[in-house]
Amino acid sequence: MSKLVVSNLSINRAELPVVSSLDIAVESGAISVVLGSNGAGKTTLLEGLSGIIPVASGSIAIDGREIQKARPGVRSREGLAHVEQGRTVFRQLTTEENLRVSLHSGSDLAEAYALFPELVQRRTVKASLLSGGEQQMLVIARALLTRPKVLLIDEMSAGLAPVIVTRLMSAVRKLADNGLAVLLVEQFAALALSIGNRAYVMRRGRVVHDGDCMKLLKSPDELHRLYLGG
Amino acid sequence: MNALLTSAVAGLTAGGTYALLGVCAVFTYRLVAVVNFTGAAIGTAGTFVLIALYEAGFPLWPSVLAGIAAGTVVGVAIGFIMTRWFGEASASTKAAVTVALLVGIIAIGLRLTGGQHPHNMPELFPGSAFRMAGVEVTIASVLTIGLAALFTILADLFLNNTKVGLNLRALADRPMAAELLGIRVQMLSLLVWGMTGAFTTFALMIIAPQRSPNFMTLSLLVVPALAAALVGLFRSFWRTLAGGIGLGLVEGMASSVDSVSQYRSAIPFLVVLAVLLWSQREARWDEAR
Repeated sequence: MSKLVVSNLSINRAELPVVSSLDIAVESGAISVVLGSNGAGKTTLLEGLSGIIPVASGSIAIDGREIQKARPGVRSREGLAHVEQGRTVFRQLTTEENLRVSLHSGSDLAEAYALFPELVQRRTVKASLLSGGEQQMLVIARALLTRPKVLLIDEMSAGLAPVIVTRLMSAVRKLADNGLAVLLVEQFAALALSIGNRAYVMRRGRVVHDGDCMKLLKSPDELHRLYLGG
Repeated sequence: MNALLTSAVAGLTAGGTYALLGVCAVFTYRLVAVVNFTGAAIGTAGTFVLIALYEAGFPLWPSVLAGIAAGTVVGVAIGFIMTRWFGEASASTKAAVTVALLVGIIAIGLRLTGGQHPHNMPELFPGSAFRMAGVEVTIASVLTIGLAALFTILADLFLNNTKVGLNLRALADRPMAAELLGIRVQMLSLLVWGMTGAFTTFALMIIAPQRSPNFMTLSLLVVPALAAALVGLFRSFWRTLAGGIGLGLVEGMASSVDSVSQYRSAIPFLVVLAVLLWSQREARWDEAR
């Protein structure tokens, strides 16, 4: 059974439809990659799933429990974690304080440092002074400490060096291998497909492709066609 | 000289109250991002619950507790309005909403308390604490300043040493990111509103006997309170504390000088103007270059 099931979901911004009648599913232990050109509705989809913006219609369920009407905090407590784009660290808090904010009963800071040992030496540094890569590691580790069942990640590679992006991708793959359901929105299509299981391609708010990541990775012409239409 | 010193010391009670109200304003701004113009009105509502109960013959200290509870409830109610309907609004919109709420609270308060009708406000801490340079320093002065210092110390300790304080700092930095981590944003915001409501109510209960205890006069104590908060640039509790006490001292001294005493209520506005000009000096300098 899928951890996250999204059925017939529509989301509007300023009363204009941005996501329309969308169906996706994310399995435990798997990464579902959402690709698409700018304006396809990928970020809006994640913001609707986590409750930052309301959904117009449709349903969102984690483990069969519908959450589409709940506030973001309730969705988080139901097991949904959202790593927003833009590396939303708490700037005035140190690395360790950022992590402690999301500590839940049963979670441990050691898990975060095990995933990203790079953060250990930076634990007393204010988050605003971390490098872009360290900030991205911090927000992923912070989300992990909420003990999520489903992790939504939006454009984690934006503005980062390729070596850092590769490091982050391998960490996300590790999280999925440990049983987490991951929905990854990404611009670096090839890199995302190389670690993903299932690929969705969105265009103008709709899913125009749903298939295996490896197959799509091996068909760059098909991917190009899906991005641009035609 | 002695008259000036006496007046300055007399201004300490007001200064302590400005400081406490200012520190509460900074606390509210730093944690829930609202420049709260209703701060003193919340305390005034609680103070008038005390007055109503006392005038109805209830014993003093249970009435004080009931008044503080009422101030807390009014604070939470305003907090609920701000978080429920204006949580995502800009800082200027939130400030404008609190101005509108202030006008509404004053109108309702004046109606319920009989406008300028005189009230029997009990003095909670009568008498002198000690003499300084030949001048009596009242218990009320010591208490308001002590309470302001205590709130400042407790706020620092609370924010830096507790999990709730840590969550509040995260909430102040990025409210949505905090909520996405499962932090109970609305509950924490209401806690801030309730705490500041309780403290401002107690401060106003102390100062009310020395002021004209009508709803409007007490509610407008928010002006010197925000002036004090501005001295601390809405960030530093300690500078706000010093700003509030300084403002009270200057007001007190001004009251003993005939030529300026009638203008002493304008002193908070002058402080606001001075701080704004001072804080803008770098931008003006850059522009001039």
